This record gives sequence, C-alpha cells and structure tokens, in this order.
Amino acid sequence: MNNPYLPVKAKILDIQKQTAIDYTFRLAAGLHVQSGQFVELSIPRVGEAPISVSDFGDGFIEMTIRRVGKLTNVVHELKPGEELFIRGPYGHGFPLEQFRGRHLVVAAGGTGLAPVKSVLNRYYHNPEEVKSLNLLAGFKSPADVLFAAELEKWAQKFSVTVTVDKGDENWTGNVGLITGYVQKLVLSNPAGTQVIVVGPPLMMKFTIREILGLGVPPENIWVSFERKMCCGLGKCGHCKIGDTYVCLDGPVFNYTRAGQLVD
Amino acid sequence: MDVNTKKIIKNAWRVTKERGVTCLRIRVPGGHLEVKYLDLLKEIAEKYGNGTVHLTTRQGFEIPGIQMNKIDEINQMLAPVIQGLEMELGVPVTDETAGYPAAGTRNVAACIGNRVCPFANFDTTKLAGKVEALIYPNDFHVKIAISGCPNDCIKGHLHDIGVMGMVEPVYNQQRCIGCQACVKNCRQVSTGALSFVNYKVRRDPLRCTGCGECVLKCPAAAWTRGKQSYRLVIMGRTGKKNPRLARPFLEWADETVVLQVIKNMYAYIDRHIDRSLPKEHVGYIVDRTGYPVFREEALAGVTLNPEARVAAWMDWSGYRYERTSNMV
Amino acid sequence: MGFALTTEQFDAFLAGLARDYDIYAPKRLAGKGAFSGTDLIAYAPVQSLAEIVFDRKTFYSPKEILLPISQTLFYFTEEAYREPQQQQRPVIIFLRPCDVHAVKRLDQIYLHNGDQADPYYRERREKVKFFVMECTEGFDSCFCVSMGTNRTGEYAVFLRLEADRVLCDARPEFTPALAAYGREAPFTPAFIEQNKISVKTPEKIAPAVYGHPLWSEYDSRCIACGRCNVCCPTCTCFTMQDIFYEDNPRCGERRRVWAGCMIDGFTDLAGGHSFRNKYGERMRFKALHKVYDFKKRFGDHMCVGCGRCDDVCPEYISFSRIINRLAEVSDDE
Ligand SMILES: Cc1cc2nc3c(=O)[nH]c(=O)nc-3n(C[C@H](O)[C@H](O)[C@H](O)COP(=O)(O)OP(=O)(O)OC[C@H]3O[C@@H](n4cnc5c(N)ncnc54)[C@H](O)[C@@H]3O)c2cc1C
Ligand code: SF4
Ligand code: SF4
Ligand code: SF4
Ligand code: SF4
Ligand code: SF4
Ligand code: FES
Repeated sequence: MNNPYLPVKAKILDIQKQTAIDYTFRLAAGLHVQSGQFVELSIPRVGEAPISVSDFGDGFIEMTIRRVGKLTNVVHELKPGEELFIRGPYGHGFPLEQFRGRHLVVAAGGTGLAPVKSVLNRYYHNPEEVKSLNLLAGFKSPADVLFAAELEKWAQKFSVTVTVDKGDENWTGNVGLITGYVQKLVLSNPAGTQVIVVGPPLMMKFTIREILGLGVPPENIWVSFERKMCCGLGKCGHCKIGDTYVCLDGPVFNYTRAGQLVD
Repeated sequence: MDVNTKKIIKNAWRVTKERGVTCLRIRVPGGHLEVKYLDLLKEIAEKYGNGTVHLTTRQGFEIPGIQMNKIDEINQMLAPVIQGLEMELGVPVTDETAGYPAAGTRNVAACIGNRVCPFANFDTTKLAGKVEALIYPNDFHVKIAISGCPNDCIKGHLHDIGVMGMVEPVYNQQRCIGCQACVKNCRQVSTGALSFVNYKVRRDPLRCTGCGECVLKCPAAAWTRGKQSYRLVIMGRTGKKNPRLARPFLEWADETVVLQVIKNMYAYIDRHIDRSLPKEHVGYIVDRTGYPVFREEALAGVTLNPEARVAAWMDWSGYRYERTSNMV
Repeated sequence: MGFALTTEQFDAFLAGLARDYDIYAPKRLAGKGAFSGTDLIAYAPVQSLAEIVFDRKTFYSPKEILLPISQTLFYFTEEAYREPQQQQRPVIIFLRPCDVHAVKRLDQIYLHNGDQADPYYRERREKVKFFVMECTEGFDSCFCVSMGTNRTGEYAVFLRLEADRVLCDARPEFTPALAAYGREAPFTPAFIEQNKISVKTPEKIAPAVYGHPLWSEYDSRCIACGRCNVCCPTCTCFTMQDIFYEDNPRCGERRRVWAGCMIDGFTDLAGGHSFRNKYGERMRFKALHKVYDFKKRFGDHMCVGCGRCDDVCPEYISFSRIINRLAEVSDDE
C-alpha cells in the first residue's frame, strides 16, 4: 500500500542550540523541498507535529524546533546519531520566481524566522536573484535571538535590522517592536517590492498594516500560517479555514487570500 | 364520644388537635398515580372534609377536617383506591372496604425516576410498588425511599432505608474520541472516578458511584449501560434526639438482594424491638444491638450477587440535640 | 432489474450474501440508549430482515463502518513499524439515499482533497456495496429534498419493505443471487419529494456575516458537546494519537480518532493559543463548512440534510433553522 502516513527514519547529523528552547536539527534526508514547506516530524509512541524546513541542501534538511510540549520536549533530548521520523514535505512554499529581480523585504517575528531561513540563505549565495533584500527580525529579548551567526553573515550582503522588544545590560542593538522599524522603511518602489511576513498572529497583523501603509499592494505580500495540523494531507480538517486547507493550499499564502480567511 | 384511638390510627386516621375531627392519610406508593383517583379524593375532601388536601413529604395525601363518625362510611368509599394503589401491586388486603390495614410502615416514596428524569437509572415507581407489596401492611414504624440515582432527590439519606439506582458504565475504547467530557463531568458532579491515560479513559471501580453520568455525557456511546444495580443506605433519620444521614450498607446489589434485605430487616425489628415502648424506630434498635448484629441478620439467607459489596463497619454520623454547648 | 422476495426468501438471500460480505444495517441495540430503559438505533451487523430497523433513523450514521472512530494506522515495535493487516471483508451497508450522498462527501475529503488519497479509507471504500432502503416519508428533522440528496442511483440493490415481502431493484452484480431466491417483478424505486422542513442555503457570504449577531446566540445555548459532529454522516475530522503500551513502553501505535470542530481543543496550538473559543464562532465555522465552504471547494454542499444533528442536540439547537437564518442574513448583507 502506498501510504502517505508512513514516516521514514532520518538520522540526526548535528544539533545547534540557538536559544535555551530553540534547537536547530540537521537531519540526513534527501527530500525535494521548497522554501516555506513543512514536514511532519515524529517520534513513534510520543507524537507527530508539523515543523517548517528551515534550511536544506544536498542530502540534508534542517529544522529549528522550539521546545513547547509533548513531542518537542523529547526531541530536544536527542543526540546526534539518533533518529527522528519524518514525512513530507507538505504544502506550498514561497514563490521564489515572483521575487526574481524584485526588491524583497522580509519581516520575521521570533520563530517565524525559521521558515524563511532558507530563502535568506538562497539570496545570500545568489544575491543577483533579487534587486535588494531587507531583513527585519524581531525577538522578545536578546536571549531569544535565533540564528545569530547567520544574521551577522547575512548582514554582509544585505540590510539586516535586528530588534528586541526589551533589551538587557549587554544589548547594544535596536530595541522596540518590529512594526516601528517597518514604519521607518524607505521603499524606492513600493509597487515593485515583494514582502514576506512571518511570525505570531498579532505580529503579522500589525506588520501587514504597516506594510500596506507604505504603499505595497496586497498581492505583493506573502505570509506563512500556523494552525493545528494532524495530517498534512487535507484529511484531518484541523487546519481548515473557510474553504482553505492550510496544509495543502498554504502554509504560505498571498495576502489577497490570507486576508480573507476568517478562523 | 367513644373512639378507640389505637384502632383508628392503625387504620390510617389521625387524632388531630380538634376534638372529634380526624384526618385521612392516603398512601401513594412510589408517589405516582393515575389522576382518576384524584376525583375520589376530591369528593371526600369536599363532601366530608374542609375542601383541602395536604401533600405530605412522604408523597401521600392527608384529607383534613373529617368528622370521626364518618370513618366507616369513607372507608367504604376508599375501596377503589385501596384496590388500585395497593392490591394491584400485590399488597395482601383482606377487606378493601375497611380502609387501610396498617399505618406504621409508611408510604414508600420515590423520586420521579426514569419515567421522566434523564439521570434516573431505573423505574423507581415500579420498585416502590414491589417494596410496598413486600412490607405492607405492617405496624413497624419504617420509612423507605427510592431514588433513581445517587442524586437522591427523594432524600433516602433521611430514611431507615434509602435505595438508589446504580449502573455499571461499560467502556468501549474503540468508540472513544477522547473528548474527556466524561472525565471532566465525573470530577465536577460525581466522584472523580475517571482519568484520561494514553488518550483513553480509565475508571476506578472503587471510586465510581454508578451514577451513569458518564454514559449520559458521552457523545459517541463509548460508555453504555451495563448491569443495573442498587446502593442501599440505612438508618438515616430526623427526630428529636439524634438526627443523622444514612450510611451506605450495600453497593452494586441487585434487586433480589435489596428486596431480601428489606424483608430481613422486618424480622430483625421483630426480634429486637423494645415492646415496652409505644414505638421504637429501627435506627434506635440498631443503636442498641450494634451494626454487626444488624448486618448478620439483614444478610441472613441472602446470596449476594458477585459485584455486591457490604459495609464492613459503620461510622454513624449525626449529632445530638442536647449537646448544644456551641449555642451561646 | 426488479424482484419480489418474501421475508423468508430475503433472509435466505442475506444468509447467502453473508458468506462473502459483512452486512451492516440500522439495528435496535436494546438498552444501549444513553437514558436508562432506552434502546439505541445504530449500525451493527445483521443476519435477518427482522433485525433491520426501517422505521427509525439511526442515531449514529453509517460512516463509522468506512471510517472507524478509532483506527490504528501502524504499530511500532522496538525497531520497526508495521501497518495493520486490513484483511477487510467486502461490506454491504443498508442505508437511505441521504447517507449514500454522505459517503460521496467522505470520498471528496478522503480520496480527492489534496493529491494523495487516504489508503485506509480507500481500502474499505472499495469493498462497500450500498443496499439503499427506500425512504418516501422521511422523519421530522430531515431536509434532504432541499439539499438535493433525496434521490440516488448509486446502489447495488434498492429495496422497499412491504408488509410481507421485499421489492428490490438490483444491479447486474446481484441479479443472479436475487433471481435464485425470489421472483422477477417490476419495481421502480421511489424517493421522498417533500420534507416537513425545507432550507434555503446561502448563495454568497458577505464578510459581515462572520461577525453577525446571529452566532452569539449559540455562545450560551451550545455546550460544545460535539454530538452534532459525531452523529453527522459527513463530518470527517480526526486527530492523531501516539501511544505506548503500558506493559511494554517500547511498543506502541499511532492511531487516528474522530475529532469535532465544536469540541474544545480542536484548534489548540502548543503554548495555549487557540481559535474560535466562543461556541457561537464554532457554530459559524461548522455551519459554513456544511453549507458554503465545502461547496466552494468541491461543488456540492457537505450537509446532506439527514437531520441527525437536530435529533441529537441536547440543547435543542436546530441546524436547519441555522441554515435558514444564515441564508436570510446573507441576503440582507
Ligand atoms: C506549518 C507549521 C510549521 C511549523 N513550524 C515550526 C517550526 O519550524 N518550529 C517549531 O518549533 N514549531 C513549528 N510549528 C509548531 C509546532 O508544530 C508545534 O510547536 C508542535 O506541534 C508542538 O508539539 P508538541 O507535541 O511538542 O506540543 P504539545 O503542546 O504537546 O502538542 C500536542 C499536539 O498538539 C498539536 N499541536 C500543538 N501545537 C501545534 C501547532 N502549532 N501546529 C500544529 N499542531 C499543533 C499537535 O498535534 C501535537 O502533537 C509549526 C506548525 C505549523 C502548523
Ligand atoms: S458512573 Fe458516575 S461515578 Fe462512575 S465513572 Fe461514571 S460518572 Fe463517574
Ligand atoms: S465522553 Fe465518551 S468519547 Fe468523550 S472521552 Fe469520555 S468516553 Fe471518550
Ligand atoms: S450537539 Fe448541540 S450543544 Fe452539542 S455541540 Fe452540537 S450544537 Fe452544541
Ligand atoms: S450537518 Fe446535520 S443535517 Fe447535515 S449531514 Fe450533518 S448531521 Fe445531517
Ligand atoms: S463540520 Fe467541523 S468536524 Fe465536521 S468536517 Fe467540518 S470541520 Fe470537521
Ligand atoms: S493538516 Fe490535516 S487537513 Fe490540513
């Protein structure tokens, strides 16, 4: 039986601790992934959960997993060499074709940075594919900053603004909500700018409001949704919003559609 | 005027505060009756009484304001009530035109039961009828009440014997959707006998009161009704000395056991009652003999169904009116 | 082709079928109603015509035969995992036209939504034959005519129960068996043409309908018990559960279990976030799924008008009334 529910084993190659509760796992897996897609990650007998592929390359995928509950608690206890189970990838990713030759703004809140990490790395390696890239990344506090090394690396090639809601004595960077920094963006050609907004629901709502205020048309805005998911296959119904199944039709949506979805 | 008060009291007529005036007590076993009997009661109240009736806590009627010299005439009229509400249940009455044959053992009361109430685990009125046929007529002063579930709406806990319906909930884990409605509800309204383990429900049979709430709450019929049985609580009382709530004597007992125990209790009373007193309530007899004697005699010759459990000992509750040092 | 069978002949026909099929039909399960002294009318295996309940609607729908309430997807042993052996025998289901349509709705989700069919469902679905029970009277809460689900041609055998005989219309697959037990007789299936209740479904939902005060009535009336989901022949949602066995924690299983959008927890995300916390919002979500969203995506309404959700709601919430109110406010907005 060709069974899409059956996961396959994937060996953990490496674990990077980003923060106290966010670890990046590199798994040996030869999946064909688009940036923004997710996999169903599981440990048999413990549970299964949708996790974005934060990065991928030849023979590996990376996931940045926050420790929040039943499954993720156990995942965080694993060591390189041990195995996880995955199935997927699922869903629609970011429309990289539409970004080609355009100005791109990425506004990411917290773990929202994970699903766009591979997009950023792609343009880091192929800067000619976009006209410009502007990353705004907001975190709760300095201790929550994800991908610190990457952020520094990316800053060498494109504009990177990192801000925290609340700093501490060692923090010398920006302080304040991401929306404030979005407001200050100067876009040379709003109509020709593509924008990705990913993060917690409230962050997305207010950030999109600011982006629209800058004159960016709704059809240029892309978001990624998180909903409860139990299958990733359009069967379990948990991710449904209106006539839309986030697992099939998303998780990445154009704002013209996402803005119409009422939970 | 010469009236044998002992005789009329036994005949279910009261000696009232008004000289020469009596009051008729009507039994309604299980507290449910066809309305046709109300016509007769109305006629008696209008023609012989003062045009009113009193509804008693025991679910009977009292028809006040009747002249004592009308007793025989009214007893004659009562024949259809005694036939319909007593003899048809199997109560042995030798002369239905002579009024009620006894008044000591009180009307067997019952909550509305599963003829109406969704919580009830059985037909309380029907069981009340069986109990009535078993114990009436009898002069011993005994109060029995029957409730459909452990809510005990008829307050069996204030009776010598309170019977409450129980049901064994049967779980089919294949049907369980894990909504936990049963678990939350059991914790809220019953004993918290259910827990949610490994996405399925576990029932602690020692905690479960057999109320059947879980069956009612389950949207998927994962809980269904298994064997229906009874809890018997005993020796609850009000009164002027030592009021107390009844204590559980039997759990998960089937109907045969319940009826036999009730029958045995009358034999126990007969054996131990203090006949020097005008009357002695069974609860006070148990106070004298001690619970172990009661238990032994109540269970004499009874084959308990395998699920049934019996109280090994009793810690009677209650208080004494005379100990009122807290009243200042 | 039409056939007439006496009751005895029909039982012999069933007995013959039982060699190759598991036969499910509405049955009276004595004492299994939630209230004491009541029976449950539900789907169960049957052997004879007398066991089949024709004059009552089932409390639960036949979907549980195709989509078990709790279904193991695979077992884990220490090192490996294995799919359960299905070995499902072919199945005959006695059901009414609305319920045939309901199975088509399950097909939409389980076979056609997304590009991967559900193998567990497909395996069972391919082995099912419909024996449609003629339904010309319906019940008080039905509104199949409004939903266009009162008629169906999708059956292996269509049958009408008469006082002492059964009239059947059979597809070729079953004509030899029927011919063996009964005699040929002309028979044209009939369908109900008017219900006591009719509904008007909304054409277009204006954004204002989502926040319309109509829904807030159900914030307090509905108790989110989920009976309307569980009893609905077209609700398809499930939740995944991983468990390990207590006696051997290294072994376990992954299974799926029915879920319902009216029940707490349906949208819960890790960290305590959830959507549609008000019961009225859940009602709006369910109602729109049944009579708007599904049609937008697949072309047919999800709701088939069987009326079970009305029958089972402990709070006497009528879904057909909700549909009509929804259509009214959509026209206004
Ligand atoms: C498209 C998508 C991408 C995601 N990407 C990431 C990511 O890159 N990194 C990350 O850390 N988290 C991500 N999440 C969230 C992640 O799925 C949850 O944190 C995870 O399910 C928690 O599982 P748990 O068993 O540890 O927690 P518990 O709270 O114990 O969860 C129990 C169950 O609830 C369900 N559940 C809880 N939260 C969610 C949720 N947010 N989404 C779906 N189902 C949920 C699951 O069925 C899970 O098995 C993503 C979610 C979605 C929908
Ligand atoms: S019968 Fe009552 S006490 Fe027992 S498990 Fe069910 S709800 Fe709890
Ligand atoms: S109410 Fe029924 S379905 Fe819900 S958890 Fe209890 S047994 Fe399972
Ligand atoms: S059955 Fe009634 S009360 Fe229960 S969830 Fe559905 S609408 Fe609400
Ligand atoms: S929503 Fe109600 S009427 Fe419609 S198919 Fe489901 S149970 Fe039947
Ligand atoms: S109405 Fe609710 S439970 Fe039923 S299929 Fe739709 S989302 Fe799922
Ligand atoms: S995750 Fe199951 S339908 Fe989308």
